[in-house]
Amino acid sequence: MAEENIDIDPDRQREIEALEAKMGTTNHYDFLGVPAGASTDEIRTAFHAMSKKFHPDRFFGKNIGTFKGRLDKVFKRIVEANQTLTDPERLKAYLEAHPFVRAAIRANASSTVAEVAAKTADEASRDAERRARLARHPYLAKSGKVQEMMARARAHIAKGEYSHAFTQVNLAAQFDATNLEVKTMLVDVRKKNEEMRSADDFKRGKEALDRGEDDLAIAAFKSASNNNPKNAEAAYKAAVLLDRKHNDPKEASTYAQKAVEAVPTNAEYRILLGRLLESAGMKALAKKHYEEALRLDPEHPDVKKYAKRRWPF
Amino acid sequence: MADREPVIGIDLGTTNSVVATVQGGTPTVIRGRSGSNLLPSVVALAKSGKLLVGQIAKRQAITNPTDTVYASKRLLGRKFSAGQTQDAMKVLPYQVVSGEHDDIKVKLGPTDYSLPEVSAMVLKELKLDAEAFFGKPVKKAVITVPAYFNDGQRQATKDAGRIAGLDVLRIINEPTAAALAYGFGKAVNGKIAVFDLGGGTFDVSVLEVGTGVFDVIGTGGDTYLGGEDFDNRIIEWLVFDFVKEHGIDLRKDRMALQRLKDGAEKAKIELSGSKETQLNLPFISTPVGGGSALHLQKTLTREKLEELCGDLGARCVTICEQVLSDARVKVGDLKEMILVGGMTRMPKIQELVKAYFRRDPCKGVHPDEVVALGAAVQADALTTEDSEVVLLDVTPQSLGVAIAGGYVRRLIPRNTTVPTSVTEVFTTSKDLQSTVKIMVLQGESEVAHQNELLGEFILTGLRQSKRGDIEVDVTFEINSEGIVSVAARDKETGQQQSIQVTASGGLTESELKTILEDQADMMLEARTGEELGKRKAELSALAKEVQELIPQLQKATSGSEFGQDAVAKANKALEVAKRTVDAANLGKVNESIDTLTKTITLFKGVLQRIS
Repeated sequence: MAEENIDIDPDRQREIEALEAKMGTTNHYDFLGVPAGASTDEIRTAFHAMSKKFHPDRFFGKNIGTFKGRLDKVFKRIVEANQTLTDPERLKAYLEAHPFVRAAIRANASSTVAEVAAKTADEASRDAERRARLARHPYLAKSGKVQEMMARARAHIAKGEYSHAFTQVNLAAQFDATNLEVKTMLVDVRKKNEEMRSADDFKRGKEALDRGEDDLAIAAFKSASNNNPKNAEAAYKAAVLLDRKHNDPKEASTYAQKAVEAVPTNAEYRILLGRLLESAGMKALAKKHYEEALRLDPEHPDVKKYAKRRWPF
Repeated sequence: MADREPVIGIDLGTTNSVVATVQGGTPTVIRGRSGSNLLPSVVALAKSGKLLVGQIAKRQAITNPTDTVYASKRLLGRKFSAGQTQDAMKVLPYQVVSGEHDDIKVKLGPTDYSLPEVSAMVLKELKLDAEAFFGKPVKKAVITVPAYFNDGQRQATKDAGRIAGLDVLRIINEPTAAALAYGFGKAVNGKIAVFDLGGGTFDVSVLEVGTGVFDVIGTGGDTYLGGEDFDNRIIEWLVFDFVKEHGIDLRKDRMALQRLKDGAEKAKIELSGSKETQLNLPFISTPVGGGSALHLQKTLTREKLEELCGDLGARCVTICEQVLSDARVKVGDLKEMILVGGMTRMPKIQELVKAYFRRDPCKGVHPDEVVALGAAVQADALTTEDSEVVLLDVTPQSLGVAIAGGYVRRLIPRNTTVPTSVTEVFTTSKDLQSTVKIMVLQGESEVAHQNELLGEFILTGLRQSKRGDIEVDVTFEINSEGIVSVAARDKETGQQQSIQVTASGGLTESELKTILEDQADMMLEARTGEELGKRKAELSALAKEVQELIPQLQKATSGSEFGQDAVAKANKALEVAKRTVDAANLGKVNESIDTLTKTITLFKGVLQRIS
């Protein structure tokens, strides 16, 4: 993807682009990244978190190129989603116009995907029998096929093979794009799959590091972090290596930031981010992170070092 | 850091103005060169021909009433012919004249100044204070306005800033600013209410605050409810008794009026601390036929003041109720409540607020300074890399378009977070209609002409067809700067017209009404069935009521000519109503509702008088 040379960091650019792409296709809950039927509190929290990232004021007076219009568009949708979902009357009208969303809420309320997978063997076999019977009906051939894929996916899930499960559910979704069960499962499995891949990448990264292949390790850690933003250790390791190898504080700080975001209470992450920000010239921000680190772990040797140093602020 | 361009926040108040900045992460009020934190929002032309601003202007007000302008904020962005302006003029000692476009000008000596020019003088003074403080030029500023200011008033404030040589980064709402100042640098999480009763305006806002996000969830107010109104009540009381005793209306004498105003304000402030106060205005007037000078000497008790102003306090509470219910917030959900504005020092107001919100107001917020501090926080947030603060502000009044029948279709309801945009489909309202007129209105009234006209434009070249056949997309947009733009698109041809709403057109209510009537052929029709359905139900209910009233009326008027005539008219109206219920035309339905409502009022009036 071509990045514009503007005052928005590349990751944020990508996030904005991803949201823009999602605008036409997802419902309000998905757009805010909350489960269908989420409570007002959950919606508000998500809305505030997104506002902090995407409110046009965050980029006030900056050169943001084509992102000006796109940001406006994305943020307006965020506002619309929040206002629709938190106003009982508007929510009612919205659900009437979008029966799928209503169905998704019901599905979330009654049985989550996990529960489906945990059905007793007895029930599962009876289900299978019923589905097989239904599948023989010509009208339901399509649905039968989808159910077959879903059954395979469930089997994979049971064995912990999420990448295979993902392939199956993804295929099922292409067959029947409106099937709610498939859609909800797809979301879950994708997430799980990414987490697994993240763990794999992380392992690969560590092995590469042991062998001394730093470039490979960087790629692996970056991928691990991108696959699972919660994988703080991967982000941290990527940042350390990027800093050491390429002397590129900007990219390194992006990953350090991710590590801090994933685990805000880790002093080590904060120190790294602080140092990287400082060398990138963002002193005020750096100071904030140093101070936070100092608060988190006053006994940390590096923290002490920074505390003693007379900051050039 | 040190070479960063300084930015300031300004609270441009009705009675006093304050300038602040964020220094080293702490919001601070900038002390004026005269040594005071508050700059009276007073501008005067001295006898020497010199323009005076602030304390020095306020001090000479009594001796120079006609050339001293105070409380000009109450006129800012308004029209000369508006009822509120005319009312305000009655109690203003300085001369208010009409400009070319029904705008307001004030006379200072030989020169007429527009209201933005007057406000700019105050702003310039604050700018100079800030420059003295920083030791270098200051350009960038955030200025606050009452939350309930409409678009025209906001534009006028922005103009004032520009005239004063300021780059106005943003206009923000006063109660929001207060919340920003309160929550800045603190780990506040939860809902808070801001009760802002200032010199001229009343605002109340509810915000949800969390991790640096200040999300306004409801706001409301009254731009003609403030300290000035309390003063005026005292003045009226003084004048009334004086008229009874001496037959002289002191308000006719500008010098006396200025002294009354001064005395009333002082008495009001004193009564916040003591139970009673003396008003002593010697030589206030001379009798018409000559004779010795008259003095005004009266005792005002706190109790009397509360009695005089009882309804003003009650109005505040009503507005609070409305805002909280709009925001779907219960009093018990609030974590904190903040009092802003000098008038909140009045014990009665504090009592009312405490009783309504069922809690003590937040301590440690300076009611006079908190708004400017908040403006400074926002100015800092906008210009600081990765600022900790994001303000999610709302549009305080609804926006919509005029539709057939003289009604409004609301597209953006009040309290919508900005930026926002809404598109709705409208249709033509007449057969063979080839032109539609888009009239952009701001306000809460269902009736078009009772709203403020923000702007208008015409979309032409529609294919001539039956009414309702041609569809027009109307899009309202408010960007993050608060600027409103409206576009209309012919769905068939893709042809498009749009405007950016800049300043209000300067129309009075009656002018707007005339325009709406004259151009009824060019109006839009709402396509949404729900509105029509609601209106139809309303119409049916009204028709039923009329039907029930007819026999009563017949009995009461027992066949008099008037009675027969009225019943015949009512029957005709009912027939029309029946036909309109069957037709799907919102304009016609609305017309019918009007007729039936009038009929009912008439009938009820007659019945009441007879029985």
